[in-house]
Amino acid sequence: MKTKSRCNPTRHIGTGMLRVDAADKVRGKTQYLNDRTYPGALHATVVRSPTARGILKSLTLDPAYDWKGVTVATAEDIPGENVMVMHDRSMPLMGAVGAELRYRGEPVAVVAAATAEKSMEAADHVRLDIEQRPALLTLAEAIALFKKSPKKLELLKTQNIEKGDIRRGFAEADEVLEAEYWAGHQEQLYLENQGLIVFPRKDGSIYVEGSIQCPYFPVNELNAALDLPPEKIRVKQTPIGGAFGGKEDYPSMLAGYAALPALKAKKPVKITYERHEDMLFTPKRHPVWVRFKTGFKKDGTLTAIECDYILDGGAYLTISDVVMYRGILHCALAYRCENVLIRGKVARTNSMPNGAFRGFGAPQAIWGLESHIDAIAEKVGKRPDAYRLQIHARPGDRTPTGQLLTEDNGSTHCLDLVLQRSDFAEKFKQASRGKLRKGQNKYYGIGLSFFAHGSAFTGDGEAKFKAKGRVELALLEDGRPGVNIRVSSTEMGQGVHTIFTQIAADGLSLTPERIRFPYADTGMAPNSGPTVASRTTMVVGNVVYRAAQDLRNQIEAFASRRYFKGAAARMRHSKLHAKGFRALPFLRVARDMREELGEVNGAFQFILPDTVQWDQSRFKGDSYPGYSWSANVAEVEIDPLTLELTVTRVFDVIDIGRVINPMTATGQVEGGLTQALGYAVMEKMGTGKNGLFDASRLQTYIVPTALDVPNYDVKFVEYPYPFAPPGAKGLGELPMDGLAPAIANAIETAIGVRLRSLPITPEDLFNAVIPPA
Amino acid sequence: MKSIERTWKLNGTATTLRFPAGRRLLDLLREDLALTGAKEGCGEGECGACTVLIDNDPAVSCLIPAGQLPDGTTLLTIEGVEKKRAGRVLQKAFMETGAVQCGFCIPGMVLAAYALLQRNPKPSTAAIRTALAGNLCRCTGYVKIIAAVKLAAARLRKTSSTPG
Amino acid sequence: MSPPMNFDLLNIRFPKTLDEAVAFQADERTRGRLLAGGTDLMVQWAAGAPPPQRLISIWGLPELSAIRVSKEMVEIGAGVTHAFLRDCTDIRAHVPALVAAAASVGATQIQARGTLGGNAANASPAGDTAPALLVTDGMVMLASAQRFRTVPLTAFWTGYRQTAAQPDEIIAAFLLPKKGRSVERFRKIGTRKAQAISKIMAASRIRLHGGTIESAAIALGSVAATPIRLGKVEAFLAGKKLSRRLVEEAEALAQASVAPIADIRSSAEYRRWTAGRLVRDALENLQ
Repeated sequence: MKTKSRCNPTRHIGTGMLRVDAADKVRGKTQYLNDRTYPGALHATVVRSPTARGILKSLTLDPAYDWKGVTVATAEDIPGENVMVMHDRSMPLMGAVGAELRYRGEPVAVVAAATAEKSMEAADHVRLDIEQRPALLTLAEAIALFKKSPKKLELLKTQNIEKGDIRRGFAEADEVLEAEYWAGHQEQLYLENQGLIVFPRKDGSIYVEGSIQCPYFPVNELNAALDLPPEKIRVKQTPIGGAFGGKEDYPSMLAGYAALPALKAKKPVKITYERHEDMLFTPKRHPVWVRFKTGFKKDGTLTAIECDYILDGGAYLTISDVVMYRGILHCALAYRCENVLIRGKVARTNSMPNGAFRGFGAPQAIWGLESHIDAIAEKVGKRPDAYRLQIHARPGDRTPTGQLLTEDNGSTHCLDLVLQRSDFAEKFKQASRGKLRKGQNKYYGIGLSFFAHGSAFTGDGEAKFKAKGRVELALLEDGRPGVNIRVSSTEMGQGVHTIFTQIAADGLSLTPERIRFPYADTGMAPNSGPTVASRTTMVVGNVVYRAAQDLRNQIEAFASRRYFKGAAARMRHSKLHAKGFRALPFLRVARDMREELGEVNGAFQFILPDTVQWDQSRFKGDSYPGYSWSANVAEVEIDPLTLELTVTRVFDVIDIGRVINPMTATGQVEGGLTQALGYAVMEKMGTGKNGLFDASRLQTYIVPTALDVPNYDVKFVEYPYPFAPPGAKGLGELPMDGLAPAIANAIETAIGVRLRSLPITPEDLFNAVIPPA
Repeated sequence: MKSIERTWKLNGTATTLRFPAGRRLLDLLREDLALTGAKEGCGEGECGACTVLIDNDPAVSCLIPAGQLPDGTTLLTIEGVEKKRAGRVLQKAFMETGAVQCGFCIPGMVLAAYALLQRNPKPSTAAIRTALAGNLCRCTGYVKIIAAVKLAAARLRKTSSTPG
Repeated sequence: MSPPMNFDLLNIRFPKTLDEAVAFQADERTRGRLLAGGTDLMVQWAAGAPPPQRLISIWGLPELSAIRVSKEMVEIGAGVTHAFLRDCTDIRAHVPALVAAAASVGATQIQARGTLGGNAANASPAGDTAPALLVTDGMVMLASAQRFRTVPLTAFWTGYRQTAAQPDEIIAAFLLPKKGRSVERFRKIGTRKAQAISKIMAASRIRLHGGTIESAAIALGSVAATPIRLGKVEAFLAGKKLSRRLVEEAEALAQASVAPIADIRSSAEYRRWTAGRLVRDALENLQ
């Protein structure tokens, strides 16, 4: 697969260029939101519903309290409609008097004062009178209800995927296997808590800056509630101390909370959460219940995959429909099967609405499927590796929505290579299966998972959205010319500032030293879309590449006219060349060009070939523009004395198309695998009877430390994406997708018992293998 | 709240300060001295983002009433680390190995690593993991951070017998 | 959310000597909560527990900072940090379980500030060093303005977060008999491999002679309101020949003699089971 590159072979793409933001970060110079001073700003505290469900009968201010200098904003202060637009306009910005409150912690007021302490103190003096209603707190309760009587379950969204004829599929089957899989909440645990500040402007507009993953989201979210047109809402990211999806949907709500007192007091208002509040009252990964019922021939050939996939959406839909769509699109994606029926649902519970977290529904789907595939392999007497080699999807196959997998899918290569690198077949023989083998003092197990992840927006989202970006000629901080990359993609640790610098450098053939990527700012950068969905490098990277090439064409045309008497000019290695003329440095040409022409921009708008077709109403067609592939192998040891579990080695072979920067890409994989490790064996969050998460501090919510991570073996194979040079595909979410089932599969080979609920703790192993006393 | 006065050697400079005795060292650094390299990630000593070195020992500044540091205490924060050769070597190694992502944990990581190399110029991988186990990172999976500490240790051994 | 703790309002006194400190504690009007490294108390206040009106900082008091090794005993000042214990080569041969326990506290940052006396005074059932102290059959020395007195460690933790120390007393030191020919073992099962509060932990000091158990001291943490010695198991083992069957019976007896609770870190059933498993571990590692 060749990508079209106009002339110069790449110089920076594919190299391990050092991160452009690292020098400031290692020196402690990077200024995150709370490192900045905002003189005159008020600090706000959100007043929350103390109950999981009830009618807000009244909201009053304690008359005995001194409210001087305190601004209290409630639903009554909302200039426009009391609504967060999100995906269905069902969630209010503020719980209003007379309305139903649907989760513990739902905002009913925002209190702002000169200090955070004062605002918290004042918030304690807002009196709420609530008429309690019975609440449904957890997915477990919801599924119990669903099993008893499906109609009783309150659903926020449903969607099916159908391929072939599921009844025929089961009729053709020799055997049927059915099982259920569970997973709980997972907290993103970015190290920098949520926070932002809202500045009201004299012209009635607002300016927002903070730890915001998707600056254009608040712009479009808040125009209904604040009654402001999008151009009167400007949003800029400050350096982000981790996000992982957690700062995708939520900052829009937070900006709304802060905007109300800001507009009322006509002063900037800042809200930053402390860890406890952040853990209790921001969205998590959706808990899932997934039931697979599969039919297969004696040789293992799948004839039918039937699947129920139910997410806990929490109290409001917010963005859960799209999470569910991505989930069901990954429920049967990676294997050949002609008859598929997937029923996706988002259940309503009285809990904090769940939201985006790296993987976005896919990890929950792949957790179930990859556990189930191992169970089928065992049933038909095949090794898990051999079985996957037999049934996995490859170029020429069609997905459950009917999409044809083309040659740019490295599925087989990933599987082959991970098996080879991990020596899977040989090690599989050593697995303990519940009995220590000679020489083993721990139970040993090895497990495999294999999966694809759709890159970019689901369906024709990218074709419709048309991501926009610019590369502009500018004077840099040293007063000399260079270029600015103007896209709305945010740097949150993943390295986009570095790889877009590489891409622009090659698109322009300009040294990276003259390229800057200012922090995303809706006032300065066109909308290239949110930094989500493993779309940034593939889609926005293409926009940057093309925009850089566009700028280069303009520079060359200018040079040809101005200096080279019309002879064709070529920009190479930061110089303008023309036959018969002395080469001129970019710096001089750019200065002259700015003087003569003023603003100079290269621009591009993302397009997909119209062969990409998607029918959203029937969920048929090309569900993603492209697919990345991955295979994971995990090795585990379990101490027979205590059933403590150690994941000792993890192999990941991954096709992400063209690798722009091997160092940052590997870093993404190692970090994502570590989050997946936590999801698999540590990170546990229950819900108390009071509707609050029980693990709401770092003392109780357990994530991996440097001593808990295994040795990782990460290898990329490159099957570049053909329609968007330089040819990257999605990366960020892949390492979160498949490690949990690989570990569960490894545990099964170690102790001979399959665990079907995440996370898997020593207590779960104990319950599974030790008979009650 | 009673103010007290303390004189410390802060990042190599004798510094006299007046503050309420219970003031958290983290707040004193960030608010009074505008040394914002130490971050607050949890406020309960779990994440290590606020790590500073007190008399060469890594400590979480969110759990220390500043008055508990007597006169003469040596304090090193990320802002002072680059005055030390071992600090600069570590910072460079972090950059070169790709150990930095969002960066929020990095000041604490660099200080924990610096303290380790002071005590143990040739740390094993296990020793590095143990020394960094009090610093949570959610981005990197620690792999490249561990590699950075190894690289820095090797460079320091090559060029000098005592880091610092 | 309630207003966060304003640490600026803490009222802390800084005595320079132990004499000054006990003088503060002697008088109800000056008495305060003792603050050593702060690794427990500061966390509790940050999490919303109301701080006391007065604090007496005993961090760094020279009288509490010494370690002395004599012929029979190791004497460890209450102000000695976990980091110091972890790295101190003089005591490793004599109280190895305690050294291992100190190294299992939190991670390096907490080890650098947390003290042995603070860990004991905090009196959490999950205090990492308590079981290792208990199996030494040592004493804790308490100082007040009037006198020093010693209390057996086995009588020190009297209830959930309660100790035998009187309001005017300060833990001064721990007097720990050396293990001699006994074998010590420490094992902690945490929620992860570092920076973890224990689900359960065990320390043991067992003396084996010619295949017979001469004496056994076994202690567990996180299975009761206080750290506990397994007296029944110890009595059962004393004088018996070590055998596979004996190990199994001791394991079962240990499981039968604890009544742990479930909390966010573990289940009652797992704790009960591992109580026995850790006794087995101690008995299987006596060579």
